[in-house]
Amino acid sequence: MFLAVIMICGMLAGCQSKSEPAPQETNGAAADDTKKEDAGEAAKPEESKAPEEGKDLPKIACLLNGNLGDKSFFDSANAGMKLIKDELGCETNVIEMGFDNTVWETTLYEVSDQDYDIIIVGTYQMQEVLEKVALEYPDKKYIIFDSAVSYDKEDYSNVYSISFKQNEASYLAGALAAMIAADDSLPLSNGEKMISVVAAMDIPVLNDFIVGYIQGAEDTVPGTKVAVSYIGDFNDTAKAKDLAKAQFNLGSSVAFNVAAQAGLGMIEAAAQNERYAIGVDADQAMALKETQPDQSKVIVTSVLKNIDQVLLLSVKRHIEGTLPYGKEEALGMEENAVGLAVNEVYDGIATADMKSKVEELQGKIQAGEIKVPSAFEMSEDEISQMKSSVAP
Amino acid sequence: MGQILEIIFTADFLHSIIRLSTPILFATMAALISERAGVINIGIEGTMLFASLMGVVGSAFTGNVWLGVLCAVVSGIAFSGLLSFFHLKLETDIVLTGIALNLMSSGLTIFILYILTGDKGVSTQLASKAVPNINIPLIQDIPVLGSILSGHSVLTYLAFFLVIALAIFLKKTKLGTYIRAVGENSDSVETAGISVNMVRLKALLISGAISGLGGAFMSMAYVNMFTKDMVAGRGFIALAAEAMGRGVPGLSMLSALFFGMADALSNNLQLFNMPSELTRLMPYAFTIVALGIYAAREQRKSKA
Repeated sequence: MFLAVIMICGMLAGCQSKSEPAPQETNGAAADDTKKEDAGEAAKPEESKAPEEGKDLPKIACLLNGNLGDKSFFDSANAGMKLIKDELGCETNVIEMGFDNTVWETTLYEVSDQDYDIIIVGTYQMQEVLEKVALEYPDKKYIIFDSAVSYDKEDYSNVYSISFKQNEASYLAGALAAMIAADDSLPLSNGEKMISVVAAMDIPVLNDFIVGYIQGAEDTVPGTKVAVSYIGDFNDTAKAKDLAKAQFNLGSSVAFNVAAQAGLGMIEAAAQNERYAIGVDADQAMALKETQPDQSKVIVTSVLKNIDQVLLLSVKRHIEGTLPYGKEEALGMEENAVGLAVNEVYDGIATADMKSKVEELQGKIQAGEIKVPSAFEMSEDEISQMKSSVAP
Repeated sequence: MGQILEIIFTADFLHSIIRLSTPILFATMAALISERAGVINIGIEGTMLFASLMGVVGSAFTGNVWLGVLCAVVSGIAFSGLLSFFHLKLETDIVLTGIALNLMSSGLTIFILYILTGDKGVSTQLASKAVPNINIPLIQDIPVLGSILSGHSVLTYLAFFLVIALAIFLKKTKLGTYIRAVGENSDSVETAGISVNMVRLKALLISGAISGLGGAFMSMAYVNMFTKDMVAGRGFIALAAEAMGRGVPGLSMLSALFFGMADALSNNLQLFNMPSELTRLMPYAFTIVALGIYAAREQRKSKA
């Protein structure tokens, strides 16, 4: 009896990822309803939809190599798929593959065998898998976000790669953090010109955040010290909290979360030690506003990665026939792919001078007057040199 | 270098060692009690993880932090009961069963979290309670020492109290003596007419209860939320700490503190741009050295 219960529990846990398409479809149905209502105002509900279907809309699958519920990265991709379904009317399916990397390749093969027109994957962890599978299915179209396949090695004319210029938004975050750390009139800043980062792992895509952050701080307030700590994984919330506490004890006034979910521990440390935090990927101040108001109010801003908007735009371009497959595109502030979260917390903490400086820098980056260094274009030595030049 | 020493000799640093050691200390004591009964409880990691979720859930639904802790302890006992059932009743291999239960715990916690909140990563939607920190009268007034020893979570003090309690329990009580006897020579206990399995079951259930406290500390004191796989190997490090402490409560506590110190050191050295690969290695390098010493000692013992 006991055994039976356990087996059932195990099976349910195992089915978790597979059972996902079902709720997805109910969402779609709900979306269709709202669509009809909207269209109802435009007089002819049924006919307005007909020409769209006639255009032969692509059928899209999105494979996530993790689980939904991270309040940032994967949730944003999922939101993008919903937008595609609601706004473009495409048939979409989101598949959560979980964190077990042994099933990623087989899942991608399985999905490629089915009748999807576009298959979307993300992160550097899927890059190698995609490089293998995409060659075997030249008729399928693939989109990979937050990473790129090696176009110089093989012919990937069916793959479109999207990388984010997270360094640009991080540059603004660094500038803001440095200004806060230099201003002891702010209640939670000590004016010691020290800021910090808690990152999950020492990998290029996260270092890209750090490089931009450091450069932004140095350009705006020269001589600012930046303490950088790595957790070693994306899970250990408790460790993130301790790393942040160590940074605050050393004198850092603002800590930047580059660790998605584990970084929530860092935000908790900031609230306890009464210092400022900067969130990542999604607007974390607003995400925590309801349940953790004391944490929400120390999150000055968040470096946003608008994966949802970018995916929507890509599929739109696919339908128009203008999506450049066989190419990598780096999307930045201009395309609204990255940016800083401006919300009530930001308005409450940042002074008028700080806000206008951030806006000025944003304008310069968009106009190409400021070239923000990128970790993807730097060697490991250059990155570690940059970090040690600003280490406390 | 001077800057590093400056950090190490601050009260904040020593305070953080105690905080970092607490979950390892709970897990070490959990490992100790089962090990003394002759069973290696590999499942501590999963037990703690399960308990840390149940603590959050319990405190959120009852609105009472102590009922949450109770919930964590009970679920720790239940999880260990499961391990005991497989190992003692069905005679499965303890290591394999432990690993299987750890894996199950990882998935099951996410599953439960998803059912309750619709989230699969963090429990921030549940308004869970935090175990309060307490200042100890008198001690908190002593200059440096006060700021190191006072102001910790109630559970931290409980962990250190548990070390003393376990030492007395093993030495002075009947069950404690049986547990030691079973661990040292189960055959002679059997001939004395005492059920070895019954003694081991009790030891494993106590181990589960202590793991439950460790889990409660992770999600209700260390940080105030449950996140997926948040125990992050602390249950395994405890096995090494217990081995290094040779199953003696006092020595095991010292080795748990040693691991806590390695952790705190690695957290702080990173600030001075020491390569993170190197500093993160430290707790694990200590584990390997400790296990090596333990193995060598065992080998010498078996030769003698």
